[in-house]
Amino acid sequence: MKTNRTASLALMQNLRDVAEVMPLLVVLLGLFGGAVVLGILQSFGYAPWFGINEFPTTRYFERLWFSSDFWASLGLTLYYGFAATLIGFVISIPLSIALSKKFRASRTFAALIRLPLMVPYTVGIALALVMLGNGGLLSRISAGLGLIDDPAQFVQILKTHWGCGIIAVYVWKQVPFMTLTLSAVLARKGEDTVEAAMVLGANSRQIFWRVTLPQIMPGIVSASLICFAFNIGAFEAPLILGGGYPDTLPVLAWRYFQDANYAFQLQGMAVVVSLALVSGIFLAAYLLGYRRYERARGRV
Amino acid sequence: MISSPRDIKSISPWQRLLVLAMATFTIAPFAPLIIQSLAFRWAWPNILPTVWWHEQRERSPFPLAWDYVFSPSSRVAEATINTLGIGIAVTLLCLLICLPAARVLAQRNFRGKNQLEFLIALPLLIPEAAIGIALLMIFIALGLSGTYAGVIVVHLIPTIPYMVRMLTAVYQGHGTEAEDHARVLGANRRQIFFRVTLPMILPGVIAGCLFTFLVSTNLFLLTFFIGQGQIITLPTLLFAKISGGALDATGAGIALIASVPGIILLIFTDRFIRSYPLAE
Repeated sequence: MKTNRTASLALMQNLRDVAEVMPLLVVLLGLFGGAVVLGILQSFGYAPWFGINEFPTTRYFERLWFSSDFWASLGLTLYYGFAATLIGFVISIPLSIALSKKFRASRTFAALIRLPLMVPYTVGIALALVMLGNGGLLSRISAGLGLIDDPAQFVQILKTHWGCGIIAVYVWKQVPFMTLTLSAVLARKGEDTVEAAMVLGANSRQIFWRVTLPQIMPGIVSASLICFAFNIGAFEAPLILGGGYPDTLPVLAWRYFQDANYAFQLQGMAVVVSLALVSGIFLAAYLLGYRRYERARGRV
Repeated sequence: MISSPRDIKSISPWQRLLVLAMATFTIAPFAPLIIQSLAFRWAWPNILPTVWWHEQRERSPFPLAWDYVFSPSSRVAEATINTLGIGIAVTLLCLLICLPAARVLAQRNFRGKNQLEFLIALPLLIPEAAIGIALLMIFIALGLSGTYAGVIVVHLIPTIPYMVRMLTAVYQGHGTEAEDHARVLGANRRQIFFRVTLPMILPGVIAGCLFTFLVSTNLFLLTFFIGQGQIITLPTLLFAKISGGALDATGAGIALIASVPGIILLIFTDRFIRSYPLAE
């Protein structure tokens, strides 16, 4: 009798757990799963609301993947994503280590440096325009120093495929996010291991490569995944600050969707699915590599 | 070793240089933005405007710079109200969805838990443009595109992963002992939640809400795609202003207005934002 009662209590508890997770599941699967399923269906030619139903056809993918424009766009998209994430970490790893040493103004500096995290990307783009444009402040300062005497002589930072303006905005906006993530990891690890290494006679280079870096690796992995995925899916910075044709993939997809011809939307959906596919491949490869790294260190 | 705050000289010169350079890189660009918002004529290569806005104010037949920003025709007031209103609605809805789920994730072990956690993180790992465009088609079919409901629902996608993560960490930090004691002492579920659990997890809940609000107010892409130009928020208004690749006094003013919520949150919530467990 008693075991029966505990069993039914446990069942009740399980049911309650399921009920409490359910809203989250419904929202995620409904929105996210729905978007994925519909996106894939449409990219294979299913769009009865436009009077198009060729499902399943690979026409849209073929047209896309056999054009050199697509590969140029993909290359640009990945280049901006990688460059910004890499530069972000080159800055934020030493920055978070410096800020983890509590000095008198470290809180103020940490707060100041966090500002970009709090404002929209579009503000970052406005700042890039006013700083880096040919009529921007850096150009004016160069003229003041006598380096140039015409705005056109200023080195073209915006609207080129080198994407320095885009990368600058990403870095400006994401260094605080990365620093905050790494600082949280550092704060939790404490300084004990670093001090132990110091006592044992490790120099600062050894401490960084052998102690600190392996400790903050999980933070680096999670922050870089989030930032990279954001960077290759971002739309506004490449549109405003980019070099125009060939566009990055999100801009390309948006242009297809804005086309008066509905049929192009299916083409746009093929772009979107390709983008998600590429990011999925990178995600899987990255997580696999990370797992191998952790296994080599004996942590998994 | 030393627990009391040390001088900035306690870090190496390279670290000092890095911290100062990053602070400059972060803050300095706001100076020309403020100048631009106050300029009337700012020809190249002058470092400061030759004619300021306040000198031309009386003479101009139409509102200039900040006068325009604060006039109804700029739609700044409408965008601000939309941004804040959507942010609050998204935060409350997100909390309602995530709080119960976070408790289960923190306190229970079940088959498929890892997969569920991966599913929750997935919206951050799939490019936003892909989600936005695919959802737009669904929302058009459902009649949700260009409505407040549609924008609020779509804002849940990038906010849920953070909220779940932060709330789960909060629940994990507290365990279940206090609740067990209250249950033994005869409290019912409602009493336990409002009298025991909530007061304990409140700081974490506030941190989660602030971060969610922040993400929502800063969101551009999903608002832009799903709002279809009918729901304007500060980021989309600013985008419309600068999408041509030029920034005038009005654009600079709107950019400054769009930064205000973030700056206010930065000043008043330093304590909360700092302590949130982002790194998992």
